[in-house]
Amino acid sequence: MNSGPATNTDARWLVGLLQAGDSYYPTGAYAHSFGLEGLVQAGMVRDRATLREFVFLSVLPALRQAELPLAAHAYAALDPQAPDWAKVGELCVLAHALKSAKEARTATDNIGRQRAELAVTLHAHPLAHAYLARAGERGWPFSSAVSAALEGRVLGAPREAVLAGVMYASLGGLLAASMKILRIGQNASQTLLTEALARAPEIIATASVVPIDEIGWFNPWLDIAAARHETADGRMFIS
Amino acid sequence: MAAFHGHLSLRAESLADGRTALGAQSFRAPYHISKPYWDADTRTLLVQVVNPTAGILSGDRLESAVEVASGAAVLLTTPSASRVFKMREGEANSAQRFTVESGGWLEVLPEPVVPHRGSVFHQRTELAVAADGAAFYADLLLPGRVAHGEAWEWKKLVLELDVRRDGERLLHERFEQDGAGLRALAALAGAGEEACFGNAVLIAPGVSADTSPAWRDALHALPVDGVWIGASQLRLGGGWSIKFVAPDGVKLKKTLAAIRRTLAGVYPHLKCDARKL
Repeated sequence: MNSGPATNTDARWLVGLLQAGDSYYPTGAYAHSFGLEGLVQAGMVRDRATLREFVFLSVLPALRQAELPLAAHAYAALDPQAPDWAKVGELCVLAHALKSAKEARTATDNIGRQRAELAVTLHAHPLAHAYLARAGERGWPFSSAVSAALEGRVLGAPREAVLAGVMYASLGGLLAASMKILRIGQNASQTLLTEALARAPEIIATASVVPIDEIGWFNPWLDIAAARHETADGRMFIS
Repeated sequence: MAAFHGHLSLRAESLADGRTALGAQSFRAPYHISKPYWDADTRTLLVQVVNPTAGILSGDRLESAVEVASGAAVLLTTPSASRVFKMREGEANSAQRFTVESGGWLEVLPEPVVPHRGSVFHQRTELAVAADGAAFYADLLLPGRVAHGEAWEWKKLVLELDVRRDGERLLHERFEQDGAGLRALAALAGAGEEACFGNAVLIAPGVSADTSPAWRDALHALPVDGVWIGASQLRLGGGWSIKFVAPDGVKLKKTLAAIRRTLAGVYPHLKCDARKL
C-alpha cells in the first residue's frame, strides 16, 4: 500500500475487505468469544483494565506470532497464478495443530469454512472454487486465517491489507463478545479497540517475516480456560 | 567453561519373555544414563538420564533420540531439575525426538526446567507415535531460582512441542516468552510470583472414541490449592493436551503426580514410580 490517491482498483478490494470485516458479514464469529468467556468465568478478566491487559499481553502476541503469520504464508501460497496447494494444506493443518484447545479449533474451523464458502458464493472466483474442492478432497481443516488470505486473493487485495483485516476482525470479534459478558460499554470498548489497532503497523510488519517453522504462541492460562469452558455448567459462547 | 555437544541415543526393545530392555544405546557428555530398572509390577523399564554437570550453559547443544520398539514400555526420567544458567552471550539448544512404534509405551517425565536470570534456551521436542503406540509426555517449567528471589528473569525461552500420531500432526506448540512477558501473564491470572507451568500430552489408541472421559472431570476437580488444570482433546481425536499451573514448584509436582494417578486407572504403566531408582 502507499499514501497515494486511491484508484478504482483499490476501491474494489477495499470495499470487499470492508464487507468481509463487518459484523453483518455472516461468518458466525458472533457465536465465539475466543476464550474470553472462560477467562471471565475464572475471574481473570473482570473489567476494562483486565481486558486491556489480556488484549496486550495475550491477544496481540498471538496475532503477531500465529494468526497473522499463518495468513501471510497462506497469502503467498494462494498466488492465483501458481497456487502452492501442498503448502496451503500444510498451513490448514498447522492452523489447527497450533491450538491445543478443541473449542479454539472449532472456532477457526467454523469461521474459516464460512469465509471460504462465502468467497465462492459471492465472488465465484476460480481460486475459491479450487480451494474448496481441494479442502474437501484432502480433508483439510478450515482456518479463519487461511480463508482470510483466500478472500484477499479473490478480491485482489494486497497482503498488508489482508493482515490488517484479520487483525481488525479478531480484535473486533473479541471486543464485541466482551460487551456481552463484562460490564463494559461501547465507548470503553471502542477506545480499547483503537488503542490496540494503533499497534497494527508494527505487528503486521513483524508478523510478515515470521518463518513458517517459527509460527506459534500460546498463553497457558487461556488454553486452560478454553479447555475448562468445554465442560462449563453454563455458557453464552461456543468458544 | 567448554560448551557441550551432547548426544543420547536409546532404543528399547521387547524381549521374548515380555520384559523391555535397551537394545541399543550411545551417549556423550553431558548425557549419561543410570542402570535401567525393570519394574515388574507395571511392566515398565525405568531409565534415568543424568546430566552430571551443573546444568545447561551457553553454547551447549544437546541432541537426544529415544525409540521404543513394538511391545516395549519405558519410563524416561531425570533425577534433578535442568538448570539453564545465565548467559552473557549466546544460547543453549536442545533437540529431542521420541519415537514409539506400534504397541509400544513411552512416558517422558523429566524434572522441571529452571531458567536462570539472563538465560537463553531453545528446546525442540518431537514426539512421533505409531497408530497403536501410546505415550505420556510432561514438561515442567519453574520461573527461576525462587529461593534466591529470582523469578521470570530469563532473557528468552522457547519450548517447542510437535506431536504426530501415525504421521498426522496433532499438535505443534511454540511457547516463546521472555521472563517479563510471562510474569505479566501470571500477574493477570493472579497466579503469584512463583507460578509454575506444566504441559502434558497423552497419546493412546482408542482415545478418539471417548470425547468426554470421566478422568477429565476428575482432573478438572483435582483438589490442590491454587492449581488450575485444563484437559482438551487434540485434533483428529488422537490424544489429549493437559495443561496446568500451580502457585509453586511443590504443588506443580504434586499436581503431576495426581494427574498420573488419575490416568493410571486407564493407562496402568503410569503407576510406575519414577523415583524407584
